[in-house]
Amino acid sequence: MLMCRDLAGIASDYIDGELTGRRNLSVKMHLMMCKHCRSFIGNLRASTDLMKAHSSSKPDEEFIRRIDKRVAEALKTRKPRDGNNE
Amino acid sequence: MNTAVHPDPQCSLIEDLKRGDSSAYKKAVREYSPGMLAVARFYLDYSSAEEIVQDCWVTVIDAIHKFEGRSGLKTWLHRIVANRCKNKLRSSKREVAIDFSESLEPELANRFNAKGHWNLPPSLKFHESADILMENDALSDCLDKHLSALPETQRSALMLYEAHQHKSEDVCNILDVSASNLRVLLHRARQKIFLMVETFQETGEC
Repeated sequence: MLMCRDLAGIASDYIDGELTGRRNLSVKMHLMMCKHCRSFIGNLRASTDLMKAHSSSKPDEEFIRRIDKRVAEALKTRKPRDGNNE
Repeated sequence: MNTAVHPDPQCSLIEDLKRGDSSAYKKAVREYSPGMLAVARFYLDYSSAEEIVQDCWVTVIDAIHKFEGRSGLKTWLHRIVANRCKNKLRSSKREVAIDFSESLEPELANRFNAKGHWNLPPSLKFHESADILMENDALSDCLDKHLSALPETQRSALMLYEAHQHKSEDVCNILDVSASNLRVLLHRARQKIFLMVETFQETGEC
């Protein structure tokens, strides 16, 4: 029988739909009976969403500026291409 | 049959990059560099990783003409970075050391009793969406701090899979890890973020 500790170990696999049929079913059965594990799965999902919302918001501006500068210098030294050369 | 052509923004970006359009490069650098850095940080320290990302952009200026679109631009860029990092590691004869032995974080593992039931169950309750919660600057700063403190291997896996939305298969190729090891990296990283948010919600402290 699947214990709470076992479920916590495979919670991400469950969230990502990576469990096989039988294993997935045993997690679902456990979740029907255990509010703490339901809460854990919900929290893990919500924390991941939070991380996603956070990390997609702001690139490091200094880092971007340094690359822009390097790319601009490199572009200057390149000969312009036109489609007829290919 | 409807034959209307809808211009694909990525196709037009690629065409602009091929023409050497500087504003297209600015746009692409802003959009793709954070993910490229996440790939490089899996393999290298910060300054070497940033150097690799800069070098890759210079390579892209010539190589973009050979881009045939068999993969998306993002995946193509991430593969260039990964290959360069692997070459650098090979030439310095170093390897990335990762612990895949345990899928549960020790701090979480200690919250179960001997029978495997919760001793200290999760206390976190989310009443608002992630976007609303991120308006809390203290929580946002705390997430910054904890994301920076994650082992690079876990953070890169998490960023590529979640923030940059690569498929598992692509992440495994880019980071050179097996599917089962990727699962361990993702789960360990998510648990750490969960534990951080829980502490923050409970105590208001980071």
